[in-house]
Amino acid sequence: MSTPARRRLMRDFKRLQEDPPTGVSGAPTDNNIMIWNAVIFGPHDTPFEDGTFKLTIEFTEEYPNKPPTVRFVSKVFHPNVYADGGICLDILQNRWSPTYDVSAILTSIQSLLSDPNPNSPANSTAAQLYKENRREYEKRVKACVEQSFID
Amino acid sequence: MDESENSMDKQIDDNDGTKPEKMFTLKKWNAVAMWSWDVECDICAICRVQVMDACLRCQAENKRDVMGRQDCVVVWGECNHSFHHCCMSLWVKQNNRCPLCQQEWSIQRMGK
Repeated sequence: MSTPARRRLMRDFKRLQEDPPTGVSGAPTDNNIMIWNAVIFGPHDTPFEDGTFKLTIEFTEEYPNKPPTVRFVSKVFHPNVYADGGICLDILQNRWSPTYDVSAILTSIQSLLSDPNPNSPANSTAAQLYKENRREYEKRVKACVEQSFID
Repeated sequence: MDESENSMDKQIDDNDGTKPEKMFTLKKWNAVAMWSWDVECDICAICRVQVMDACLRCQAENKRDVMGRQDCVVVWGECNHSFHHCCMSLWVKQNNRCPLCQQEWSIQRMGK
């Protein structure tokens, strides 16, 4: 059955294919347009460079009035990523706007990798190292970049 | 500019002794004007369908009014952003701000 949410997601997919942002990609799963798989490549000139981070995006029938649930499947050591892969990002919570689409969501998460917000930490170790010991932070991030090749 | 052209002519004159022919002459020209609708945005940023067409929801339900017309209208906010009224009325229930500029949403006008 085609609902407004599903039709909107078809448009999101079309836009993602016609005008693909650099460094991100995503597609609905084979049998369910409400669940997507995505990949974000670690941005250049950041410790995440060369990483391939997989995510899942789950939409509800209330999309785009409600944001989807976005979660990293790959292990990501980042101040705003929870141990279970959940992401603490304002536009996916209280600052959501129905004008966002999959393309906007993925590019926002990509820029979150470059610019963490250590003041609202989801991973307190990562936030502390980011603020106080950047070398050790980068070392831990690079370890998860290497892990991302395997999973 | 003129001077250099003249000197070019002279050179040609000197070379073959005949009056130089004009390379081209402008016989006729037409001015072209362009126009477009003066609207802030023509695609509803919520459902991504043109505001002048029915929104995704109405298309799916194929809603018509008593006259058999599609009754999906456009709404303009004080901020001049436009959306389908159907799309916007669902959004303002949870957040009474324009989804594009985050200003407090108040309707300026409605219609087609």
